[in-house]
Amino acid sequence: MTAAPPLLVCHDVSKHFGALAAVSQLSFQVAPGEILGIGGPNGAGKTTLFEVLSGMNPATSGQIVFAGRDITRMAPEAICHAGIARTFQLNASFDSLTVRDNVRVAAYFGRDNRRAPGLKIGAGTEAVTDAALAAVGLTGRDREIAGRLPVIDRKLLMLAGAIATRPKLLLMDEPVGGLNAGEIDRMMDAVRAVAAQGVTIILIEHVMRFLVALSDRVMILHHGAKIFDGPPEGLVRDQKVVDVYLGEGASQRLAALLEGGLA
Amino acid sequence: MTSGKRDLVILLVLVLAMATVPAFVGTRYIITTLTLFFIWTIVVTQWNLVLGVAGIFSLAQMALFAVGAYGTAMLGYYFGMTMPPAMLLAALATVLVSLVVGLACLRLAGPYVALLTLAIAQMLYLLVVNDTACFTNPPSGCMPFFGGVRGFSRFGDLGFRDLLGSKWYVGHYYIGLVLLALAVAFTILIFHGPLGLAFRALRDNPGYAIARGVGRLKYQLWVFGLSAFFTGLAGAFYAVQFGVVGPIVFSVSMLLFLLAMIVVGGIGTIWGPLLGAALLTLADETMREFGDYRDLGLGLMLALFVILLPRGLAGVRGLQRPQG
Repeated sequence: MTAAPPLLVCHDVSKHFGALAAVSQLSFQVAPGEILGIGGPNGAGKTTLFEVLSGMNPATSGQIVFAGRDITRMAPEAICHAGIARTFQLNASFDSLTVRDNVRVAAYFGRDNRRAPGLKIGAGTEAVTDAALAAVGLTGRDREIAGRLPVIDRKLLMLAGAIATRPKLLLMDEPVGGLNAGEIDRMMDAVRAVAAQGVTIILIEHVMRFLVALSDRVMILHHGAKIFDGPPEGLVRDQKVVDVYLGEGASQRLAALLEGGLA
Repeated sequence: MTSGKRDLVILLVLVLAMATVPAFVGTRYIITTLTLFFIWTIVVTQWNLVLGVAGIFSLAQMALFAVGAYGTAMLGYYFGMTMPPAMLLAALATVLVSLVVGLACLRLAGPYVALLTLAIAQMLYLLVVNDTACFTNPPSGCMPFFGGVRGFSRFGDLGFRDLLGSKWYVGHYYIGLVLLALAVAFTILIFHGPLGLAFRALRDNPGYAIARGVGRLKYQLWVFGLSAFFTGLAGAFYAVQFGVVGPIVFSVSMLLFLLAMIVVGGIGTIWGPLLGAALLTLADETMREFGDYRDLGLGLMLALFVILLPRGLAGVRGLQRPQG
């Protein structure tokens, strides 16, 4: 992944809240098709970085270029149309809408700006909706109300919504937080299926088993700055990452996991 | 059959049933009461688009209704325009006014929208009643530009008095029914189409909707504009039905009466506002003899519904059906 121009370039990106620099002069690139994992202690600025990338909370300074376009100051809906979709740490859904309507919204409005929305949802949108539901394994549950789904299904529904916008880049914020081992495996399959479609993914996760298994490259943040950027195998050998984030116990378990060849 | 088609079929059956009523009922009182019921039903179905479907707490709907009514009366009174084009023009003017109200509310949320829209409505009311300078001086006396407290009369009608003689009100009944059918069909199409999806998505979770490409500002303007057309047209029809338009259309008790229809019927549903309008019109007419106790009765009903049936008549088990 050296020849192709990067899909996402962040240059000296900072986000200040008053005197606090949640993200501090962060620069990194993501190549097309890559899966970048982001880890780091609580308050390291991981979610803030997603807020900045998705336009929810624009950067204080710096520049973000996505697919050759400067998106630093673009509105969130425009960034979605440009091809960046995001899932949220807390389960977000349109609670009173059905599973199908939840995905339809994304399929209809997520890709096109829809200067003048039509009266019909259309076969194209329905096909995209079907495909997205199938990709996360929610086929046949169309009529269930989103607000009544169990946690794993809500997370999968959120992923289906993101896929339905047909993104080039998918930002996933703790997709397996609060899930049990079996559910984590289900989510892992879903993410692999999305990646297989050629979607580039950045994922934030504390569950190291999930992070190292999926990521081509891992970036560790601390106090809004990058302290590690490299292959997952390098994590346990980096003394600063061990000190700041993993701790001795977790890094030994992780080392054993990596040796076992989980990826 | 999709739920949109099913709703349209239900509407067709209801409208056809209502169309036979004048054949059985000759009483003028009942026919004109039903005509008024059609007018209020149009207003509450459109208001429900903003309030229930899009979840924007706007109280501007009666002010918009007034724009339609006053617009029609003024076009007729000052320019001698015939009523059908005047009504259409007034409805389009209502859309413009509503877009301005929508723009003013863009950066507000929740109760602040209610406060601002109520303030706009009161401002329009004061503009009408406080303007006492004579704009014209017809034989009947000084006429302020907006008609003052007296309002407008003798600005024209739809010609049914010449056509049907003493049975003119039956003509108005059918005009009202056609307008109602169009307004509800329009609501059904919006509700089940992409715009309805966008409105409901923004209502449920604005942050998430924006992240899925639904721009809040844009679709808030859409709902304000769309819901205004039939509201303005209902106001215009109210003007020709009564032949007089005065500041009473701005009254807060009228606003609350219509709001109660939406709450009692079931906010955010297609048929709720219609059911609520039917029930409250019926209750209002039944309690007419009790004078002041009528408001008390309506208040009691509203309170009971909020406590016992918070989702309104449309939320009652058995009337519910899954949205597909």
